[in-house]
Amino acid sequence: MRRVLTLAALAIVLTTGVVQAAPIGVGVGIGAYGGVRIPILQDNVDRGSLYGLRVPVKVIPMITVEPYYLSSKLGDRDETIGGVEYTRDGFDHTGYGVNAILGMGLGFGLHPYVGIGSHKLERDGSPEIKETAYNVGLGFGLSVIPKISFVVRGEMNLVVTGDTSRKFANGTLGVTYSLLP
Amino acid sequence: MKNLRWILPSLALMVLAPACILTSGQILIDFDLPSVTAASSTGLIGEQIDLNDNDDYEEHKDKLKDLSDFAVLGTFRNTGLTDVDVEVYVTRDLTTLNTATAVRAGGTKLWGPLHVPAGESVTIDWDGSAALFTSAGKAVLLQEAKGDGNFTLYALGAAGTYQFDIDNGVLALIIDVGM
Repeated sequence: MRRVLTLAALAIVLTTGVVQAAPIGVGVGIGAYGGVRIPILQDNVDRGSLYGLRVPVKVIPMITVEPYYLSSKLGDRDETIGGVEYTRDGFDHTGYGVNAILGMGLGFGLHPYVGIGSHKLERDGSPEIKETAYNVGLGFGLSVIPKISFVVRGEMNLVVTGDTSRKFANGTLGVTYSLLP
Repeated sequence: MKNLRWILPSLALMVLAPACILTSGQILIDFDLPSVTAASSTGLIGEQIDLNDNDDYEEHKDKLKDLSDFAVLGTFRNTGLTDVDVEVYVTRDLTTLNTATAVRAGGTKLWGPLHVPAGESVTIDWDGSAALFTSAGKAVLLQEAKGDGNFTLYALGAAGTYQFDIDNGVLALIIDVGM
């Protein structure tokens, strides 16, 4: 895992040279997204859906800062225990934070990003989990209409819980409207 | 490239984060409990649990960090004439206590109360059961799970006289482990 992340970081650094060649300018957009959320190595929750809002703001060359909000309903988990099937309520997962996207986050191209946020996991019968979360992912933007771009993202979201974490793989499709320019 | 000065530390944080945060998981382990008949506050029979009997626990116990979810599952049948509030206590070792007084004095309340009306049966679900765990009981279970893995469970009524059975009893634990 660490090797993969190291390679991902290296790839991000190497791609910045390409990104620097892109046009420079201020940009502000607003976007909505939705998709699927898959828990990783978690025996008491199942896959679910997520949706949210993003506000990409490109204020300096190469980097777009993107505040986000997400809301997710993870699936109930069915497990047969002692010969009887039991169901555990899936988490309601909400969170907000900010991503830092390398490249022109509002438009065409590949956009690696990292992020940090505050996420909350709630379910019946358990105390809520409210912890720091980290995101790392890769998006692909496609603009077919002026001011509107579509973004596909694959993301790993990690909510730290003490010495361990709850991890989720997110796949989303979003649309962003460019307010500026 | 100056703009990378703040982003690279973030990347480094992700890369250099403790390995167990990145590679941890939540794993279900469960233990069948024998059918229990609790007929009074005396003559109790505890269920001695050795977590080492579970292959998943045995595999991950060295990397166990926390317990993230619990449930005592099964069907509770009140065969007495009055309502009963069922509680489960835990002692840290393999014990053979046989009175409610001794269990309350020497153990820690782990779970409950589950109200079972006279003459009726209640099959507890996972969500409902998870809500009945006590924080003190969780602490004991976590210590035992990180220790020798041995403890004893006792089911008893919260007060008065009672008579109940537990069928298809299971203790289910979700353990947080590093990989």
